[in-house]
Amino acid sequence: MKGNEYEGMTLLSEKVAQLMEWTSRRSVIRMNGDKFRRFVKAPPRNYSMIIMFTALQPHRQCGVCRQADEEFQALANSWRYSSAFTNKVFFALVDFDEGSDVFQMLNMNSAPTFLHFPAKGRPRRADTYELQVRGFGAEQLARWVADRTDVMIRVIRPPNYAGPLLLGLLLAVIGGLAYLRRHNLEFLFSKNVWAFSALCFALIMTSGQMWNHIRGPPYAHKNPSTGQISYIHGSSQAQFVAETHMCYAAVTLGMVLLCEAATSPLDIGKRRIMCVAGIGLVMLFFSWLLSIFRAKYHGYPYRSVTP
Amino acid sequence: LTKFGTEEKKMLKLSWSIKLNIQVLLLQFYSKIVFCFPFRFNYRSTHHLTSNGFYEFLNWFDERAWYPLGRIVGGTVYPGLMVTAGLIHYVLNLLHITVHIRDVCVFLAPVFSGLTSISTFLLTRELWNQGAGLLAACFIAIVPGYISRSVAGSFDNEGIAIFALQFTYYLWVKSVKTGSVFWAIGCCLSYFYMVSAWGGYVFIINLIPLHVFVLLLMQRFSRRVYIAYSTFYIIGLVLSMQIPFVGFQPIRTSEHMAAAGVFVLLQVYAFLQYLKDRLTRQEFQTLFFLGVALAAGVVFLSVIYLTYTGTNKLKCYAKIHIPIIASVSEHQPTTWVSFFFDLHILVCTFPAGLWFCIKNINDERVFVALYAISAVYFAGVMVRLMLTLTPVVCMLSAVAFSCVFEHYLGDDMKRQSPPAEDSRLGPNIKSIVTMLMLMLLMMFAVHCTWVTSNAYSSPSVVLASYNHDGSRNILDDFREAYYWLRQNTDEHARVMSWWDYGYQIAGMANRTTLVDNNTWNNSHIALVGKAMSSNETAAYEIMRSLDVDYVLIIFGGVIGYSGDDINKFLWMVRIAEGEHPRDIRESDYFTPQGEFRVDKAGSPTLLNCLMYKMSYYRFGEMQLDFRTPPGFDRTRNAEIGNKDIKLKHLEEAFTSEHWLVRIYKVKKLENRDRTSSL
Repeated sequence: MKGNEYEGMTLLSEKVAQLMEWTSRRSVIRMNGDKFRRFVKAPPRNYSMIIMFTALQPHRQCGVCRQADEEFQALANSWRYSSAFTNKVFFALVDFDEGSDVFQMLNMNSAPTFLHFPAKGRPRRADTYELQVRGFGAEQLARWVADRTDVMIRVIRPPNYAGPLLLGLLLAVIGGLAYLRRHNLEFLFSKNVWAFSALCFALIMTSGQMWNHIRGPPYAHKNPSTGQISYIHGSSQAQFVAETHMCYAAVTLGMVLLCEAATSPLDIGKRRIMCVAGIGLVMLFFSWLLSIFRAKYHGYPYRSVTP
Repeated sequence: LTKFGTEEKKMLKLSWSIKLNIQVLLLQFYSKIVFCFPFRFNYRSTHHLTSNGFYEFLNWFDERAWYPLGRIVGGTVYPGLMVTAGLIHYVLNLLHITVHIRDVCVFLAPVFSGLTSISTFLLTRELWNQGAGLLAACFIAIVPGYISRSVAGSFDNEGIAIFALQFTYYLWVKSVKTGSVFWAIGCCLSYFYMVSAWGGYVFIINLIPLHVFVLLLMQRFSRRVYIAYSTFYIIGLVLSMQIPFVGFQPIRTSEHMAAAGVFVLLQVYAFLQYLKDRLTRQEFQTLFFLGVALAAGVVFLSVIYLTYTGTNKLKCYAKIHIPIIASVSEHQPTTWVSFFFDLHILVCTFPAGLWFCIKNINDERVFVALYAISAVYFAGVMVRLMLTLTPVVCMLSAVAFSCVFEHYLGDDMKRQSPPAEDSRLGPNIKSIVTMLMLMLLMMFAVHCTWVTSNAYSSPSVVLASYNHDGSRNILDDFREAYYWLRQNTDEHARVMSWWDYGYQIAGMANRTTLVDNNTWNNSHIALVGKAMSSNETAAYEIMRSLDVDYVLIIFGGVIGYSGDDINKFLWMVRIAEGEHPRDIRESDYFTPQGEFRVDKAGSPTLLNCLMYKMSYYRFGEMQLDFRTPPGFDRTRNAEIGNKDIKLKHLEEAFTSEHWLVRIYKVKKLENRDRTSSL
């Protein structure tokens, strides 16, 4: 539609009807400078507009804009298909390359930005969404929209089938293997297998993997000024993933070797080697563990096994 | 190893006395106060019990907490702790040994931790042998993970609950081993004591059915298991419902359904076994058994899954919508350093013990393996649950050490079946290994002593700091303020403060509080948070509606105390915003750049809110030392932005010596409305 065709549509109901038609095609209306001026700036208006100003063209290389766009789309979709949908709130998008005059008019120089244009009056300070403070998650955006327009949008994301699908695949593989080996299920009764898996589980849990899973720390930290990579977090309240890998497994192995050396029916030479290996492992890795512990708990007075 | 007879008793006595000595020594330094926040409430309840009797205690409605709502104490608390302390007090007074209830409360935890060592010894002896039992008892006597909850003065449920846990497990293992109803009934009675003591009894009622189920899966079903579990389940169920707080939960909530499911399964299985003995169609029977076991397994798993997703949803929901749960630091996951700090060498050797247990499997070792795996998972997820991991870590490490010592310590020739000449490890290697083990144990003991003296032995009511010359400086501001409140305010005065201090105010100052550590009513706490974060006029409205007479806050800016109310302020705002999103917005308290600042660049909403004004009233005139300007907050390391603070509806009533506790009196309404012109 060309610019001069809009000039006829000054009646409010026609504007609203046009917006509704666009929304029924796409939840987020794409606007250029003309559309913006006609539908957002020019009166009469009895509806609110939530507009995202962004730069989605590939050559702009704005990764945040793409992520914010996904969240915004999810929000607009939830609104459009919700039971509370009315013609009082519309979602729109202005891309920098399509509507750079709009950016200039509003003195905007960062993207993405979310603005709310209320039905009555000028936009106030709270009508600009604080991206730095709140992030661009769809739930936070929905709360801001509710705050400004009194319209509650429940964000519904399309269900993610990846998880259950993967689980189903895993069960199928296990079932297939069990069926193939159904005459030879001896490995289920092997004590070594169970003992080993229990041991692994205990080691995984005590080395703080759940903390990693919940808090998501980085693997290591590179000091920006000196360029030095530190694998150990300085304080005792946090940890890096690298730390949790250098843990007690060796000491445990040492203890196990010591006991096995005394009781296993192998010949004496191998047993001696196992014994010595056990001693070495326990001593070395325990002192290493103590030194890492010292690094995190400043003031811990005890050094390694050999003082 | 049977010659350990009298020596074993000596060692037990030794471990108990070591424990008591460590804890009493620590106590003598700080004099007998019952410290830390939740313990004040337990002490107050016990006091009420001993003064007024058992039925009065069960029916107690506390109108001095959660004003104006009050709290039904009898129905919302686990009475085991108070009843134990009250019973000991009663018995001692009956024998004309006059002790004050406060002394009983203070020393209860060490006594019970001694009992825990003994029950750990019994349990480990059932699992492995006497040597391992002795080692386990010694470990649990000094391990830091347990000491934190069992120092003298720590009057909390966990102190007696761990003893009840270990004793119940010992009796259960004994009843599975012997299959006698006597031991099973003993187990039920011990379980009843555990239910009355701690909410963690859910762990027992899920672990024991899991044990039975795994035994069924491993085809280790026997008459003994059947007798033990059937008795335990029925009588344990009936006994656990006697506690008012538990009520009908065991037959309604999903956490208890696993026990019921396993009970039904066990009956069905036993019945099938009975049939199998009498019918000859063997193959048909085994197929039928497999089908039933599979169906039952599916049911069991679905129950677990329902429970898991139910609580998982609750956990996620709770974290987002109830910031109170997220704000408690004990509910955070555990770093590996916390494991090492609390358990030292034991956490390295406990997987080895687990390995040995599984390699030499029998009925009771299945139990301890399951206990270990479940406890280690829960401890990894929540720091507070490290306590349930500690006993099993002690037991399994004792098993590992005992294995090593058994083979490397004795003289080979004296064994029943001496090994051949050339298949012995030389005496040199053996002595090296022995020395290494002993050194490890010594390091463990030294570490425990260090941890106990530094981390777990200062009562949090009294703060200690060290001067340049190393001498200790005691800050007794909290007690000073509470005693001021006690002696200078009306008996029915109501004190508003943040919920952390509720129990202390109720216990030490003996005044009515609005919110306390029980945190059972989120909206009430949000109302207090809203009052603290609004400006003075809006806050005055709320305080008038709640009949508040005094407001108490903690301010650490003078001494650099980082646990004060300004540092907790954002949690107050978040909790208030959860209930009153239109009036309170967290973003208002940040600068436009998103920082939380108390200096001139801070947000005006923050600089004019009630908490800010109360914390920094008259602080702008105070110059702490010549290098910093007046009004320099040592905790935030910033000069405050709003120095000229005038309070309209409050007046300052008391500020403690180091400005740590500040109490303000809420002024009554004016006699005549000043704004109206006549």
